[in-house]
Amino acid sequence: MMVSRRSLETATALLTGAFGAAVAVSSLGNGIGWSAAGVDSGTFPFIVGLIILSGSIFNLVQGWLQARDIVLRPSELKRLGLLFIPAVVYVGVIPLIGIYLASGGYVFGALAWHKRGSLVFSSFAAIGTALALYLIFELTFQISLPRGALGDIIGF
Amino acid sequence: MENLDALLHGFTIALSGNHIFLMVIGVLLGILVGVLPGLGAPNGVSLLLPLTFGMQPVSAIILLSCMYWGALFGGSVTSILFNIPGEPSSVATTFDGYPMARDGRPTTALATAFGSAAFGALAGVVLITLSASWVAKVALAFGPPEYFAVYFLAFASFVGMGGSPPIKTLVSLALGFALAAVGIDTVSGSVRLTMGIDELVKGVNFVVAVMGLFGIGELLIAVEDEFHVKAISSKVEWREVFRTLIHLPRYGWVLLRSAAIGCWMGITPGGPTAASFMSYGIAKRFSSRRANFGKGEPEGIIAPETADHAAGTSALLPMLSLGIPGSATAAVMMGGLMIWGLNPGPMLFIEQKDFVWGLIASMYLGNVVAVILVLLTVPIFAALMRVPFFIIAPLIVIICTVGAFSVSNSYLDVVLMMGFGVLGYLFKKLHYPLAPLVLAIVIGDKAEDAFRQSMLMSRGSLGIFFSNTLVTTLVLLGAALLVLPVIWQTIGKMMERPALRP
Repeated sequence: MMVSRRSLETATALLTGAFGAAVAVSSLGNGIGWSAAGVDSGTFPFIVGLIILSGSIFNLVQGWLQARDIVLRPSELKRLGLLFIPAVVYVGVIPLIGIYLASGGYVFGALAWHKRGSLVFSSFAAIGTALALYLIFELTFQISLPRGALGDIIGF
Repeated sequence: MENLDALLHGFTIALSGNHIFLMVIGVLLGILVGVLPGLGAPNGVSLLLPLTFGMQPVSAIILLSCMYWGALFGGSVTSILFNIPGEPSSVATTFDGYPMARDGRPTTALATAFGSAAFGALAGVVLITLSASWVAKVALAFGPPEYFAVYFLAFASFVGMGGSPPIKTLVSLALGFALAAVGIDTVSGSVRLTMGIDELVKGVNFVVAVMGLFGIGELLIAVEDEFHVKAISSKVEWREVFRTLIHLPRYGWVLLRSAAIGCWMGITPGGPTAASFMSYGIAKRFSSRRANFGKGEPEGIIAPETADHAAGTSALLPMLSLGIPGSATAAVMMGGLMIWGLNPGPMLFIEQKDFVWGLIASMYLGNVVAVILVLLTVPIFAALMRVPFFIIAPLIVIICTVGAFSVSNSYLDVVLMMGFGVLGYLFKKLHYPLAPLVLAIVIGDKAEDAFRQSMLMSRGSLGIFFSNTLVTTLVLLGAALLVLPVIWQTIGKMMERPALRP
């Protein structure tokens, strides 16, 4: 699979355009224009939403007219996926198993994947990561990190 | 000299053991994030931000600003030794820095870069020392219309001079405004743009946005390229360092011109990246050794490095005296100021003298500390570059996740951070500028408030923005900057056309 600049430009412009439209529509509920209390609170976001929308339409047309050079080759897409998908899984499991277990598992997975075999080293790195997080955040700066649903069950 | 007295007082604050220690820590962390390609100065500073909430404001700002100096220096190290810019603003340094290092003169390249960087930073700090309190004094007389005009000027100069496609800059800027408006409206108290998600009442925190945009976004860009580190010897020969530094004044004119470009781009929010490219371009155009550019020409290192650091430093001038940050990193620091309970802007110079002058004094000291530390640690940090990317990448994801969570103990922030990561990647890939987005998130509310207060004063008439010379000048200047790119493009096209004919 390959991705052209054209499709990436188009996708981005559609994304920002949809956001702009949502901003403009949702500001209507706050009231736009002038009232006894001055400028209504929806006015500024409404204008901003319209700017985003019209700018996005311009970028959409501009992007569509552009040359169809390839910006993402299969090898690049693969590397991108190998980083992004585990990262999304990592963030996704935090509510379930908490940040400590998720971070440890993430580091373990990344190391084990690339250095097939040395599982002992990977395990040490994983435990070290979780421990470092605990020492820095929980103990030193007293920021409580999420333990997830699993933490509630085991009472950590 | 009132300013010199204040500065000396500042030195007594900055020169405590505790603060020197913070400077060393800040610079080292800064070099670290500067060297690592997935992390940058704005991201590093925002990662550190949650840890400063319990500190004295002056200690906190010394830590953060020193991290900034460290990151600026660190970015140059990898540009020169590995041809991998650690920071966007050190991209221009690779053009001549890497060829010079590759041809067997890494020490000369590094010393040239650090020497001119220090000069640029010094120019920026001197400018702040001399003019910051004066600017603040002028700004004290500002009312809401003047403030809105200054904000308008700042945003317009982004669109006009940022060097990115103007409409893309505009979209990026407007997105920032929209994100700043999410949550409770400070004027009317009504809830805006939460799109049905109750938790968004607290608004979108800029730290979360910055971590996603710069941290995850940068990482996704970096992973695309296969990571080949071509190691150049990173041993520093001290004799060569001193020899290079002594010869630096020969390039006095280039240094001065680059520093001036940097200061200008720092004060108007063009930012260090635009400054370094512009300075490199101008140096190349006017140099007598033009043919040597790109092959290891010293002027090609001096010009971007001086401008980069001059811009990075002087970006703090408008942040301190007007409450308008001149770069993305300055925007993050300004967010910090507000969290610590300070009000960035002219009142700072009256109410928080210790803070302001402690910071300015620490900028002199911090840059000296940075030059020494970066020279001492080049071999260590260069070795760090050989740590495989697949180890660094998960660590950065974890740091960003934990950082986003710790801002307000909210999982939603982590999800938002990942979303901003994707946005940051797309924007970076398609040359949308990120700095206006961050800037607008931080000061969008203030700009809107200034506009609405002006409207209240004038009962809804836009004429208030033309009611006195100052306001009119600022607004017209801003408008000129907005239309300039269009004019330039048109002229460019008209000049091109005859040349195309055979």
